Amino acid sequence: MTSSHRAAELIEAPDDFDAINKLYRERKWSDGLPIVPPTQERVARMLAGTQRARNEVVAQLAPGFAEATVENIAINAVMAGCEPAYLPVLIAAVEACADQAFNLQAIQATTNPVAIWVILNGPLAKTLEVNATFNCIGEGSWANATIGRALRLILRNVGGALPGEMDRATQGQPGKFTFCCAENEADSPWEPLHVERGYAKSASTVTVVGAEGTMNMNSHSKDAAELVHVFAETMIHPPSNEYTHGGEPWLMIGPEHAEILQRGGIDKSELKRRLWEASKMRAGLMSVKDRQRVIDSRSEELGPITLDTMLPISTRPEEICIMVAGGPGTHSVYIPCFGNSFAATREIRP
Amino acid sequence: MQIAKRGRAAVAICSSAFLTLGRAQARALGHAELPIAVIAHPFGVRTRDEVRVLADGCVDEVVKLATGHNTK
Repeated sequence: MTSSHRAAELIEAPDDFDAINKLYRERKWSDGLPIVPPTQERVARMLAGTQRARNEVVAQLAPGFAEATVENIAINAVMAGCEPAYLPVLIAAVEACADQAFNLQAIQATTNPVAIWVILNGPLAKTLEVNATFNCIGEGSWANATIGRALRLILRNVGGALPGEMDRATQGQPGKFTFCCAENEADSPWEPLHVERGYAKSASTVTVVGAEGTMNMNSHSKDAAELVHVFAETMIHPPSNEYTHGGEPWLMIGPEHAEILQRGGIDKSELKRRLWEASKMRAGLMSVKDRQRVIDSRSEELGPITLDTMLPISTRPEEICIMVAGGPGTHSVYIPCFGNSFAATREIRP
Repeated sequence: MQIAKRGRAAVAICSSAFLTLGRAQARALGHAELPIAVIAHPFGVRTRDEVRVLADGCVDEVVKLATGHNTK
């Protein structure tokens, strides 16, 4: 992106944590939780985490289309509690969010509860101690909590998506506070997500996903084919943007389930193919109005749609996305997505 | 917005619950004065016949916003 000489506004405030937080709450610059005051000194320390110029414009962020600069990304990173070493991750995440196929405009302004799930791959995930195992999308990990939180702060404070104003989410979801993890590459029997998406194994990347929510899949099955059907049945979900538009659903496979699938001769590609077939949903399960939305959106792709049409969850099996994360346990997670958005990946650069 | 940028008459139609978003987007995209006709929310739950009634009810406002003149 281009350089810009537009610097962040410097405001005078009392040197008091409570007073600053009151100010930030009043100005709607907080996500509802206390922030770390972004003093000049803290922002300068944060900016030392990148080699990029503070006034460099990284992207314009919908729906307000203000410019996300390295500086204002750093400011929000301070507010979220990030370490300076996380700044390059956030810059790459902002670049990814601005990818046209990601459709940030729709994600930011929709009534859907979509939150942005940040996935890290590569050596930097380990260096920064981004959790990929127990509670990887729960609490307890500084990197996971603050990186995800910082991205949301950037999207509201720079992008302009304030709840009830430009952000029209009817209920929203907890993932809008933070939603970040690394892939558990060490315990995955398959190639890592970023390699699948075209990057070298040695590269470090961030992938952003428009995630509608999480649905736990607790299956004690030890049979690979049976497990595939458990997953597919979970994916079948009538009030779903995926079936309405032909989306990009995601699965976070727990390491134990991944091993069962691999032992059963099912790699990622085969898993996607089988899931795509087994998750086809009869259009008659949807309400009349929802089926009309499918007709409006997918008739060109699928031809005439009747009550008995079996709707595929995505236009192709390859659009079902798989990553491995979590600790030991018989759990995987189905993550339905926004439906009008495709995940974007960017390499993390210093 | 794209039509307005070309200097042609343009009117956006927005349901009342989304007017804040509509006005904010118009400002963000450099057209704070974009005419917006407002209809009652919710819109999505209406039958097609009800939508036709809503459309009939707002056509005069749309014409006025687009042309600066009343239809009558």
